[in-house]
Amino acid sequence: MSSIKNPKTFVFLFSFILLLLSILGALQVGAFPLNAEVWFSLLTVENPLISTSQNGDIYVLWYLRIPRVMLAVLMGAALGLGGTLVQGLFRNPLADPSLLGVTTGAASAAALTIVLYSGDHIALFGIAKIWLLPIMSFLGAFLTCMALNISSKWLSPSSISGLLLLGIALNALGVSIIGLCTYLATDEQLRNLSFWTLGSLAGANWTMVVMMCLTLVFVYVWSIRMAQRLNALSLGEVTAAHLGIVVSRLRWSISVMVALLAGLSVAFCGVIGFVGLIAPHLARAFIGADQRVLLPLSMLMGALLMLTADTIARTVAIPAEVPVGIFTALLGSPFMMVLLRTRRYRMG
Amino acid sequence: MTMLTLEEVVKKLGRHSFGPFSLCIHPKECVAIVGPNGAGKSTLLKLMSGTYQPNAGRILFNHRPLDLWTALALSQKRAVLSQSQDIAFALSARVVIGLGRVGRKTDPYHHQIVAHAAHLFGLTHHLDQTIDTLSGGELARVHLARVVAQLWDVEQGFILMDEPMAAVDPGCQDFLLETLMSFARLRQHAVIAVMHDLNHALRYFNRLVLVHPTGKLERVTSGEEAKKALEHLFKVRLSCLKDEQGDLVMLPLRGQATTHMIMR
Repeated sequence: MSSIKNPKTFVFLFSFILLLLSILGALQVGAFPLNAEVWFSLLTVENPLISTSQNGDIYVLWYLRIPRVMLAVLMGAALGLGGTLVQGLFRNPLADPSLLGVTTGAASAAALTIVLYSGDHIALFGIAKIWLLPIMSFLGAFLTCMALNISSKWLSPSSISGLLLLGIALNALGVSIIGLCTYLATDEQLRNLSFWTLGSLAGANWTMVVMMCLTLVFVYVWSIRMAQRLNALSLGEVTAAHLGIVVSRLRWSISVMVALLAGLSVAFCGVIGFVGLIAPHLARAFIGADQRVLLPLSMLMGALLMLTADTIARTVAIPAEVPVGIFTALLGSPFMMVLLRTRRYRMG
Repeated sequence: MTMLTLEEVVKKLGRHSFGPFSLCIHPKECVAIVGPNGAGKSTLLKLMSGTYQPNAGRILFNHRPLDLWTALALSQKRAVLSQSQDIAFALSARVVIGLGRVGRKTDPYHHQIVAHAAHLFGLTHHLDQTIDTLSGGELARVHLARVVAQLWDVEQGFILMDEPMAAVDPGCQDFLLETLMSFARLRQHAVIAVMHDLNHALRYFNRLVLVHPTGKLERVTSGEEAKKALEHLFKVRLSCLKDEQGDLVMLPLRGQATTHMIMR
């Protein structure tokens, strides 16, 4: 046992160290140059949360750079985890929340919320305002998951093309809702909306980081408890049931998890595709398909991918910023085509 | 004392109706289900495993309706080996065998049991291979080992199998059946298997259940007295031979392929 365990530990250690180094690197680069002095003053100033207004450097570091980098890492981890869960749920290595329309479902719910609730005619408490968008996008994502769950029963099991076609249909529905919203939106709402269709981490703040972190920890712990059951599901629903698993309950749990991850990440960062597809594949290539190790590693891989993409996105055209969704798509679509080519024998 | 009871069970699949099946399985019994294609052998097995819900009649397992059992409770009494085994991801053989024990809350001897089950079926050196690199026969052995791991620490359990030897080469079939049956005997498990090979059914099972196309189930003891019933069921003449070891072998006689068999 220990002989196969060692390389796995090595993979984890290596990618973890790589992630730490990338975080340090990503904190350094950006439109606003930061030097070691700022770091030092951040550590020495007693309360950076208060003393920011005097010191621009600390402000940039504490209120812009650090949350941005943290959110990129957390978002990537969430997308990687969500992708792995969806692939396990549909027993299909080509499933991905953004390909299946789950992300679009969340985004269209968010778009509806923005347009219908413009802040004036419905009074909400401050806290409720922060939560409104995440909750609505969670509901959108969850509804899409349920629609997929129900309609995937019509498909022959492990049919990739059928599942992707379903995704196309649901995506089209979501996109048309977003389109309708753009048509109805005022100028200011429109600016908010365009953010969702491209996906960007530019709005990062500490509230988002904390909320994302809590959700991620919760879903991670939950999913690890389900990991062996997900493994069993890959033997097929019938066999999983014979092994003592209540498949319908498992499907529900996974759907809630995926919707939580997709809903929150869409509410904060908009639609960012392909990370959820690539991260599990990378992780599987390194460590195999056992969900117990695949789930944490695809989180690490997702975090690495996302951080790299976001750092490129905000530095490649300083002082302007390119939406990160463009980079993940640039990376993701060729990757997806290669996957389709190699997995041709399973189409149908 | 019966372990599994089917009372007038009917299953409709599309326009086709199977049954009514009535059958009792006793503990420790080894029963082979044989019958012509399309008679409903697999349907019968799926009814017994709970995969299909019957349209009429009822199924009792340990004197309790089968659908009242939770999946978890059933999984600790009963293992099922279905016919199609499509694994979505390239899991290692070790993980797949270990999945037999996924229903256990705590499983202190997990690794030992997986190792023993793998050893029984000669898979010790394949444990770390992923299943997409295994041959069809090796994969069949992995699934057998999974079933064995599931019922490793259970007594008087119950194994259901649908053509377990379909992908296995003839040299290996007897070894696997022998291993499985002695495993079941040691723990007093009952075994019910759909078998295509008449001689496997006769050699390793004490009872045969013949599935007639009419839905009638006929129980016969395996031995020479089964010959008449089998000849009637398959509408062929069988010649009954003894092999070198004195075991009974039945072979269909040549030149009797008549249209009524195909048109049936």
